[in-house]
Amino acid sequence: MEQLKKKEVKYPYLEKPVEIYERENGHKIIFAYKKGELINISSWVKTGSVNENDENNGISHFLEHLMFKGTSKHKAGEFDRTLESKGAIVNAATWKDYTFYYVTVPKGTSDKNFKDTLELHADMMLDPVIPDNEIGEPFDLNNPNITTKRERHVVIEEIRMRKDQPWTSVYNNLNYNMYTSHPYKRDVIGNEQIISQISRDSVMNYYKTHYTPNNITTIIVGDLNPDEIIPLVTKEFDFKGRLNYINKSFPKDLPTEETKVSVKYSQINTGFLMFGYLGPEASDIKNSTILEMISIILGEGSSARLYRRLIEKAKKPVFNVVSCDFYSFRDGGNFFIQANFKPDYKNEAIELIKEQVNELIKNGITENELKKAKKKLKACFAENSETVSDIADTIGYYMTVCNNLECVEEYVETIDKITTEEIRQAAEKYLDLNHAVISVLMPEE
Amino acid sequence: MKKYNLKNSIQAAIKTNNNTPRCAVVMYVKINKEEEKTGLYYILSRLFLKGTKTRTSDEISDLLDENVIDISIDKKNDYFKFKLLCLNEDIDLGLDILRDIFENSTFDDLNKEVEKIKGEFEADLDSAKIKAQDEYYRTIYKNHPYGTGRKEILNQIDSITKEDLLKAYNEIKYNLPKNICVVSSFEHKTVLNLLEKYLGGLITKKSEDTRKIPEKLDDNIISVVEKEDANQAQIFQGWRFPSVYSEEYPVILLLNTIIGASGLSSRLFLELREKQGLAYTVRSVYEPNLLSGQFFVYIATEPKNIKTSIEGFKIEINKIMTELITDEELENAKNNAIGKRQFYTETNISEASLRGYYEFLGLGFDFEEKLKSKIKSVTKQDIINTAEKYFSQPKALCVLAPKKYLESANLI
Repeated sequence: MEQLKKKEVKYPYLEKPVEIYERENGHKIIFAYKKGELINISSWVKTGSVNENDENNGISHFLEHLMFKGTSKHKAGEFDRTLESKGAIVNAATWKDYTFYYVTVPKGTSDKNFKDTLELHADMMLDPVIPDNEIGEPFDLNNPNITTKRERHVVIEEIRMRKDQPWTSVYNNLNYNMYTSHPYKRDVIGNEQIISQISRDSVMNYYKTHYTPNNITTIIVGDLNPDEIIPLVTKEFDFKGRLNYINKSFPKDLPTEETKVSVKYSQINTGFLMFGYLGPEASDIKNSTILEMISIILGEGSSARLYRRLIEKAKKPVFNVVSCDFYSFRDGGNFFIQANFKPDYKNEAIELIKEQVNELIKNGITENELKKAKKKLKACFAENSETVSDIADTIGYYMTVCNNLECVEEYVETIDKITTEEIRQAAEKYLDLNHAVISVLMPEE
Repeated sequence: MKKYNLKNSIQAAIKTNNNTPRCAVVMYVKINKEEEKTGLYYILSRLFLKGTKTRTSDEISDLLDENVIDISIDKKNDYFKFKLLCLNEDIDLGLDILRDIFENSTFDDLNKEVEKIKGEFEADLDSAKIKAQDEYYRTIYKNHPYGTGRKEILNQIDSITKEDLLKAYNEIKYNLPKNICVVSSFEHKTVLNLLEKYLGGLITKKSEDTRKIPEKLDDNIISVVEKEDANQAQIFQGWRFPSVYSEEYPVILLLNTIIGASGLSSRLFLELREKQGLAYTVRSVYEPNLLSGQFFVYIATEPKNIKTSIEGFKIEINKIMTELITDEELENAKNNAIGKRQFYTETNISEASLRGYYEFLGLGFDFEEKLKSKIKSVTKQDIINTAEKYFSQPKALCVLAPKKYLESANLI
């Protein structure tokens, strides 16, 4: 019988510790107990657009779509039909550092749905066949006579959809200009030219390279007995000796040395803008947490500085919307401020945000703001412990992007120790306006 | 869950879910009268958090954010929904703020809020999908408040005065029916004491719904929105369907599941996305409402596919109207619809919202269990009968796309 290494992690707001099992081949299995009728099964793969280049950008996401196109045992559509007929929610997502596949389903009498779901999920993860007729022939985008459209056309429609979303458009432009050489520079979904031409062989090779035991973490959350289910997971996830792949690492990008501004135009009536800054690696939990706190203080909720000062108390109605966010990536995430504004006030909008950032760097934050940010982060963790899918997502993120789950044990303590001065210093380090990239989308003249 | 009458006659349904760190309180206030000016109720819902006789707008937002208390007021077609979600330790403060905004709102910031709403709506309407959806609702509910979108509100918003708001506010405070649902880890007795303490001063009244029923569509209607730089056409096609009170409600839920609401295995998804590769997003939506429901199919697709997509809708709708579904499809749809309902009660806030909504409808907080049983008893013949009955009625079609594609699809 296979020997598994077992660890336990105390997870805030869950009744029992989370159990981590590591197999000899490197495949990791996590179990989190959550009372209730719903269970979640997910597998997180350590690959996303970070492992792509200019020739195959979008392949991770395209593969994610094609993983649903059947296996040797189950034809295309059977997986979705079987699981959805049990009331399951089935989907997947691709991001810079990871791709994950999940099923949330009522567990059924005697856990029957769990067993059936596990079999289908493991089969999909280990034996996708990607039939030619499902992926569709490569084609010329300029040829108007294409009649047979398959999954590559679906992905191209997704690309088109994103082009019509102003926020996505302005973020992609920001992201492209923020990174210089790191693969994070590219949009996860790729572009129409690549997707229209990419071959099945390239997709299969990519799958074989990256979907290896050491790159996959399978997470089970629900009211289940780990002694019964872990052997089932190891049995279903039979990698048949598949070789492991050691992920390449990429040097962290340096921030721009002077403020970089890029302006694009579209048929819109308002202006959109984003300020972006490179942030710390995801494994730097302390600085990542500090940037999350800055995001709360500056831009989350109606008491946040930007909303209150630039909208509620504004002398002139420049802004319609203003907020912040922090995206955490393995090799360095990004912090950004986003705003929608009246187009006549473009320069003022940029200057007003700069003023707020400078003020934060110069004067720091108040004790009250610190207290608010701390409580909000803890409450978010409580919120993310309410559903089986949110628990799985949080575990998947830590296991895949930060490479460990142990940090959640100290998460609350880490938050409690952060001081106002540390926040000011982090603002000075990460939010220096000379290192800012600004992306603007304006109405066409 | 158990139902109690507070001393003020407001009914409160209470449920204890042990070991949950956040408590949820939901209060529904029924809209029984049409708003006197377009957008009045929406602005009212926005101004509830903008100051009371005892707390300024800033003080309220500071208290909420510092304590991570989520209070929101949603204005829907048939009700206002007051929602409170907070950590258990903050329940007293949360309820006190809820009481305060309900009893003492001043609506002093009208002009500022109007400017903010205008800006936010302008920004929203830069999204092709929102622009098309707004147009669709205006078309399917022509001349009825259910069809009020951002564009109408923008046109009318400047005519709304503080007096209008105060009048509508008093109506909500004193004359409209209310009910409360609480799901938390607290014992029922504790919750009851809290509700009496903080919300015992509210007044509820049973009153007749005087709103007009939306007129039926006499004929098919087509509306278009030209957007020259759209990468995708946005297509909404809909029919008027019965309200939530209809005996056919469970049948329509299944019809929706089969046509386009069941995720990756619905008919529209399989046909228009998986087989024809026309779209990333294609689905159907049923919105029941109290006075009249509507059912629409939606696709976002390359503009040159407009005709093919509308033809695809036609084929699928005709099929469900004329061919009995198989036993297997019916069984799968039932299991899908019933199984998915587990998600609606997974968290305290989702359960309070759902069960409170059933109480609001007068169907009882335990309607969820009855609904599951009704879904189980739907037959293949029920599906085809209901499909035939409603899909044979006039429909509304709304398409957003560049002009030349609207022309080549013969829409203009």
